[in-house]
Amino acid sequence: MPSSISLARLAWRNIWRNTRRTLLTLAGIVFGVFFAVLTTGLADATYGDMINYAAKMGVGHVSIEHEQFIEAPSLEHTVQIDEALQKATREDARVAHVSRRISGAVLVATADGNQGVSMMAIDPANEGEETLLFLDEISEGALFARAEDRTVTMGSALAQNLGVGLKNKVVVTATSKSGDIVTAMYRVSGLITTGAPSIDRGLIILPLAAAQDLLGYEPDEVTAAAVYLHDHRDADAVTQRLAGLTDAPSVAVDWKQSQPELASFISMKEVSGVIVQALVMVMLAAGIFNTIFVSVMERRHEFGVLRAIGFSPTELFRMVNWESFWIACAGLLASALLVTFPYLKIAESGLDYSKLIEPGMEVSGVAMDPIMSIGIYPVNLLIIIAVVFLGTMTAGLIPAWRASRTEPIEAIHR
Amino acid sequence: MHTPTIVRMSNVTRVYKQSSFEVRALDDLSLEVQSGEFTALTGPSGSGKTTALNLIGALDVPTSGTVFVDDKDLGQMSQHARSELRKRRIGFVFQAYNLIPVLTVFENAELVLRLQGVPSATRKERVMALLDDVGLSGLHGRRPNEISGGQQQRVAIVRAIASEPAVTLADEPTANLDSTTAEQLLDIMQKLNEERGVTFIFSTHDPRVMARAKRTIHLVDGRAQQASP
Repeated sequence: MPSSISLARLAWRNIWRNTRRTLLTLAGIVFGVFFAVLTTGLADATYGDMINYAAKMGVGHVSIEHEQFIEAPSLEHTVQIDEALQKATREDARVAHVSRRISGAVLVATADGNQGVSMMAIDPANEGEETLLFLDEISEGALFARAEDRTVTMGSALAQNLGVGLKNKVVVTATSKSGDIVTAMYRVSGLITTGAPSIDRGLIILPLAAAQDLLGYEPDEVTAAAVYLHDHRDADAVTQRLAGLTDAPSVAVDWKQSQPELASFISMKEVSGVIVQALVMVMLAAGIFNTIFVSVMERRHEFGVLRAIGFSPTELFRMVNWESFWIACAGLLASALLVTFPYLKIAESGLDYSKLIEPGMEVSGVAMDPIMSIGIYPVNLLIIIAVVFLGTMTAGLIPAWRASRTEPIEAIHR
Repeated sequence: MHTPTIVRMSNVTRVYKQSSFEVRALDDLSLEVQSGEFTALTGPSGSGKTTALNLIGALDVPTSGTVFVDDKDLGQMSQHARSELRKRRIGFVFQAYNLIPVLTVFENAELVLRLQGVPSATRKERVMALLDDVGLSGLHGRRPNEISGGQQQRVAIVRAIASEPAVTLADEPTANLDSTTAEQLLDIMQKLNEERGVTFIFSTHDPRVMARAKRTIHLVDGRAQQASP
């Protein structure tokens, strides 16, 4: 039996018999890898941005909330989030922040009118850009400083509709936990202008303790604890862990449950992306198959000679397998050399498609960034490498089998 | 001194079926070849020379009759066993040289030894000595397309005999060579036969080969018509 090294060396030289054909095949692999890396990188970064953006609009990557809150987001569906639970949640290295919040519908009234809006009550000491994006979009005034303050921050368009400005009074009316109608008066401390209609026209932010006081909640009682992760892909695992820390009626839900439209959108896009990539990979595999198959058919006479002097069918099969192996390795190496720089260049600047979408376009309430960022997850890069490698090896199986079936007499006397 | 029989064909018939008729390539052929012989199978085209070599070379099996090579009945052997026999006991020299173009002279010459798993040092020693014997020392690093046809055929001979097979089969080895080169090649094979005891069986209708052969078996229509001496 020849050693693997000798077959490998013979195979390596074989693939360079027809340099042009091999280079064309490698070019096909480079194109396939570039396409896969670019589209996967776009998907990874864009969907990651959308998920993080959605999380920072208030719900977090994971939230602990009342089991009925998703179906009926009422101020009556509360949970107890004490310091011990927050501490246990933060102990997980995957968790970046934990923010207790009260969310629900309230009526805001002024001398000029009233309007039903979304209310979010937060503790300013425990919030920032990393938890709520719009806190960086305060166009006038400032966010209340303490959870006990009697001031509110609201969307600038809402303030305009209600005819109020900074330091003016607004009356917030809500249904308390016990079902009573409760009312409190606050002064406006700040106005938010984001460009997103759902915030500018329909959001009011209250201090957490003041809201608890208004609604008759206990000190640890809120409607949710929003949990922010360093990497949104850990949401499932963290949700499972938090499920073990909470008792009914509290439940842990991830962003896919709290943002089902966004989850469906991303899932649909991912599936269509995989289908397109699969088609490209099939075409690529067909090209590689063609190269190896033609190369095998051209060498039938030679395979007959090799069989005559003692090569077994298995050794011929292995030799062509080695040829597939070298094509895969050379293709991936060429891809690494030729794809890395353009990928990094595009990843650095992103793809500007602002001319293709309307300003302020939202998907499931999440604003679309007109600069598409690119950033492939390492695991997805490894999957692409594995798919290209295995696809090339698979494409070479039938030619290798044909080579192994060579009948020496027929082949030699052709 | 007893000389062992390397090849024994007994009442061998080989029939090839073509679409609507049968071709009887060999017809009840019997012959024996002893170790150390320098034998030529001669005859016109279609007489069965190549078919006989294919059968002796374990590339084919007879329709009827028996073929023994090195005391092994080829008709009773599996494809794998015949492949092993070819690798270890039979050498082949083809009309068209049939070297592997991506291998050097040395790598082509050592190929069968490599297949047999012979250690590198032994391979190198044996192949370099044979290349020297056939006048190719200094050309071991060249590719087949960098040497002449006669030199390529010498490499093919070294490849065939490097593993010291029981018998070396040469199918029209001089057919593609000019007369000077053919004579040189025959000198080499004759020398290998006489000095190293290499057993050669040729199929040929080259008078020069016939003149050098110690024994000639003349085939007509798949039958042995006459043998000399």
